[in-house]
Amino acid sequence: MLHQFRTAQGEIEVTVAKQGDVWHLGEHQATVEPDGRLLLTMASGLKSYATAAKVGDVWWVHFEGHTFCLERIEPGASQSGDEGGLVAPMPGKVLDVLVEIGQSVEAGQTLMVLEAMKMEHRILASNPGQITAIHFTADEQVQQGSVLLEMVDDES
Amino acid sequence: MVSKVLVANRGEIACRILRACREAGLQSVAIYAENDSKSLFVELANQAVLLEGDSITTTYLNQEQILEIAASTGCDAVHPGFGFLSERADFARAVTQAGIQWIGPSPSAIERMGDKMTARKTMRDAGVPVIPGEEIEEEDEQEALTAIQHASTRVGYPLLLKASSGGGGKGMRAVERPEDLLNAAQSARREALAAFGDGRVYLERMLTGSKHVEIQILADRHGRTIHLGERECSVQRRHQKVFEEAPCATMSEELRTAMGKAAVAAAMAVNYEGAGTVEFLLAPNGEFFFLEMNTRIQVEHPVTELVTGVDIVREQLRIAAGEPMSCGELHLRGHAIEVRLYAEDASNNFLPAIGPLAVFQPPEGPGIRLDTGVRQGDEVTPNYDPMLAKLIVWAPSRIEALQRMRRALDEFVVLGTITNLRFLRELCDVPEVIEGATDTTMIDRLWPDGWSPSIPVEIEDGALMAAAVSESSGLHRQSNSSTESNEYSGPVSPFMTLNRRYP
Repeated sequence: MLHQFRTAQGEIEVTVAKQGDVWHLGEHQATVEPDGRLLLTMASGLKSYATAAKVGDVWWVHFEGHTFCLERIEPGASQSGDEGGLVAPMPGKVLDVLVEIGQSVEAGQTLMVLEAMKMEHRILASNPGQITAIHFTADEQVQQGSVLLEMVDDES
Repeated sequence: MVSKVLVANRGEIACRILRACREAGLQSVAIYAENDSKSLFVELANQAVLLEGDSITTTYLNQEQILEIAASTGCDAVHPGFGFLSERADFARAVTQAGIQWIGPSPSAIERMGDKMTARKTMRDAGVPVIPGEEIEEEDEQEALTAIQHASTRVGYPLLLKASSGGGGKGMRAVERPEDLLNAAQSARREALAAFGDGRVYLERMLTGSKHVEIQILADRHGRTIHLGERECSVQRRHQKVFEEAPCATMSEELRTAMGKAAVAAAMAVNYEGAGTVEFLLAPNGEFFFLEMNTRIQVEHPVTELVTGVDIVREQLRIAAGEPMSCGELHLRGHAIEVRLYAEDASNNFLPAIGPLAVFQPPEGPGIRLDTGVRQGDEVTPNYDPMLAKLIVWAPSRIEALQRMRRALDEFVVLGTITNLRFLRELCDVPEVIEGATDTTMIDRLWPDGWSPSIPVEIEDGALMAAAVSESSGLHRQSNSSTESNEYSGPVSPFMTLNRRYP
């Protein structure tokens, strides 16, 4: 079966097939254990258990001391584009907005200050550009992923 | 007498204290906010009372409400844990005035040590060396900023701005260059004001290459004030400790005696009672300077417990009841290491993370202790501190303790929320950590552009295979309909491949 996953590095297609009780991926093999874990036998001879759990569309996998988040891309799903919005990295509260609409900013300039878990986090401009929209004011709560401000990068 | 203890805290430390109460045969009362009603600590108490309110201020920081609950449930003692109200002298005083035993030092000891400026003066007077620095007494924003600028020229760069009534890295800023001072000062004052209700800061010379070494002390009402040796907590990120050990790898018996003596002097200078920690910076030349005294139980107390055999929380309960501490002459035995498991993305500037703990399987086996306030199925929310658990190992030697920690971290499975597990695991392989040559700037120095995990291709392939097989087998649906079988058999396909498309 073909599956597509989105990882931190990019998108990956994985095709696995089953023969008897054993799943194959190239030279690697896997069996599903009664407790839901997977016993993997890798091509190198490494034999170890993996634990997996699905939360939403994401498969979380623990294998050999490493933890992976693998977002399953539903077949036919369209890609979400990056539209230059600056999003909240976590839920929290806006402490300060340091720019205005139309203002030109330099790369690295602090645009907004957020507070979450009692720590301050600065939202910085990654490129020089111009602020086109500001969606929150001080003291407002923001959700993770909320678009805080929008800007257009200067033409280089 | 102490017979019924209200634990004015939540999470991991509340669990630790509530368990100690049960072991000591004491009744216990937990208090909890609405969003904690399913939390582990609520289960561990004999009685649990809901705090009204929907913010930390109106719940865990609400002195009046907590005092009312203590009175109405007939508690004769309050244990504050750490954080929250633990270092609030006014709360300790209110508790005492209500005729309830405060499990900790006197309000005046908290006051004198809690205010960092007063603490520095007290320590100087007691002959304990302090770091060169200056206090900024001005409360008005403009006046304070001017005073900070003047003081900076005398203290010198690099310098640290710290919140006067702070802790936990909040309100703290390292300033390398004069041109960064104003911004840092404004932000430190703002953060300090938000976190502690007090925007005052002080400036301190940053001593580079130093170790953070702290001494655990215990003092009872029978004239005994002792130290339980040191902990080294140099490995910090954003001024928060992540890796702590006892003893310190480079400690000599001579230096331990000197630092222990200074710590005991510090405690006696304020007529200390109960458990406390005196923090020092230990410079490479063996000079040490007083940093601050924490007048409460400390997050990393377990490493001291493991190498001394003293149950510090039980001693706190004993001392508060007016009994003499039970520990006799101390001998350090073996080596203990603690790591703090945080819900945070170590590869993205240690940003806090949230999510469900879909799987939470701690390691087991000899020499392993887990102090936690969560269990599988819990939700990590942005409401509270992102620390999920403390994993502590003990072994006969430091090398074996590191080996045990590596094994334990490899076994630890947390799925559903991003944690710093892998970061902690890689820390155990850092040459500085292996050699014990850690200092407070190590993490920033090792990973100036941020940390990212090194993942062998074979391990990633295994994970991808596990996800694909789990998806194909419908494992995520198994809990509801275990009879469903959508497996299909067929010949081994030539297309059983990985296809990476990196941008």
